[in-house]
Amino acid sequence: MNNKINTSLFVACRQCDALYDKLQLKQGQLAKCNRCGGILIERKVDFIERSFNWSLAGLILMLPAILLPIMGVTLAGQYNQASLFDCILVLIDRGFFMIACLVFLFAIAVPIVRLVGVFYISYCFKFNKLKPSLLSFFRAYHHLDNWAMLNVFMLAIVVSMYKLIDDTELSVNLGLLAFIFWLICSTMSSVVLDQNYIWEKLDQAFAKDEA
Amino acid sequence: MKTAKQLGLALCPKCHKLNNLMTEPQQCSRCQGMFYQRKHNSLQYTLAWNFAALLAFIPANFYPIMIVYQLGIGRDATILSGISEFISHGLYPIAIIIFTASIIVPLLKIMGLFVLVYKVHTGIRLKPDKHSKFYHALESLGPWSMLDVFVVALMVAVVELGFVTSVAAGPAINYFTITVIFTMFAANSFDPRLLWDKKAE
Repeated sequence: MNNKINTSLFVACRQCDALYDKLQLKQGQLAKCNRCGGILIERKVDFIERSFNWSLAGLILMLPAILLPIMGVTLAGQYNQASLFDCILVLIDRGFFMIACLVFLFAIAVPIVRLVGVFYISYCFKFNKLKPSLLSFFRAYHHLDNWAMLNVFMLAIVVSMYKLIDDTELSVNLGLLAFIFWLICSTMSSVVLDQNYIWEKLDQAFAKDEA
Repeated sequence: MKTAKQLGLALCPKCHKLNNLMTEPQQCSRCQGMFYQRKHNSLQYTLAWNFAALLAFIPANFYPIMIVYQLGIGRDATILSGISEFISHGLYPIAIIIFTASIIVPLLKIMGLFVLVYKVHTGIRLKPDKHSKFYHALESLGPWSMLDVFVVALMVAVVELGFVTSVAAGPAINYFTITVIFTMFAANSFDPRLLWDKKAE
């Protein structure tokens, strides 16, 4: 194909490949595909400040959420409590390496990496420190899109509370509160991030010209 | 309705930049990633991950997922017996949540993807708008199947009272996580744009 099309004038739907002329949107507007209803472009409101603040809050809450005990049980005079981190240590200690790895990955590592990623990107945009390495950084960030499972872990905490409440004396600790806030912060920080805007800015600054 | 494919354009799956398609795989002019116009060998990958997930789902249901030790005596529980225990305790909402997350969602995902692959391949009674919505529902449900794994992980860590009570994870947990992860891979390798392509043919 020799007749090259100026690709910056068009936008294609991610879900059905329909092609549209690119629109200039104002903050808070979004464009949807006529055919399948998928979102074409979304311009989010004031995303630099918002994602910076949410991810900063998330990073602060990270340590208490992981290290403080989430809940404890008392039975026959014995008491035991566990935090997210203890959970992994106990699992390794008793030889369940696979679930230890999975819990570590999905409930600790991926959320932290995503938070750090959002924080770094919004920091660079906030203080105007764009660099070419951000391109590959942000691309790598998208690999983790599906793999943060803090919300599932939250539901798991609720379910296991129901399991335990019958036979034992259950106590809820401060870690649960920290974990809930951490969940909110990490979800919000990825929700408010305006990926289109970031890519376009990076494109204007660094991308090689298509001849 | 024109599609990008008809004009020789391709969308980068990572940064959503339109590129003129010169070679396959094409390097994105914005993020430098390599990609294909449609996900490469999408149907084959989806089928392969799907079969693997279905295979792993069988031992996941027969082996015990959790072993509860009380005063040294172990009691096995499979996924289904855990659910029936909830029902006998009268905790219906929790029973429904677990049943949905660990039985219905994986099965629905595996069956649904088989159906989608079949429809794309044959084009029989293909309704792209409905089927692509169905696909996105399947995709977003995926991670919730990990619920049971996390519950067992928490129980093992919290109920650690030495001889009095302790909980161990059973072999089914490994098979079950394999099922969940493989179905996620299967859903990721399916390309909903193929539905529209097939309809347009």
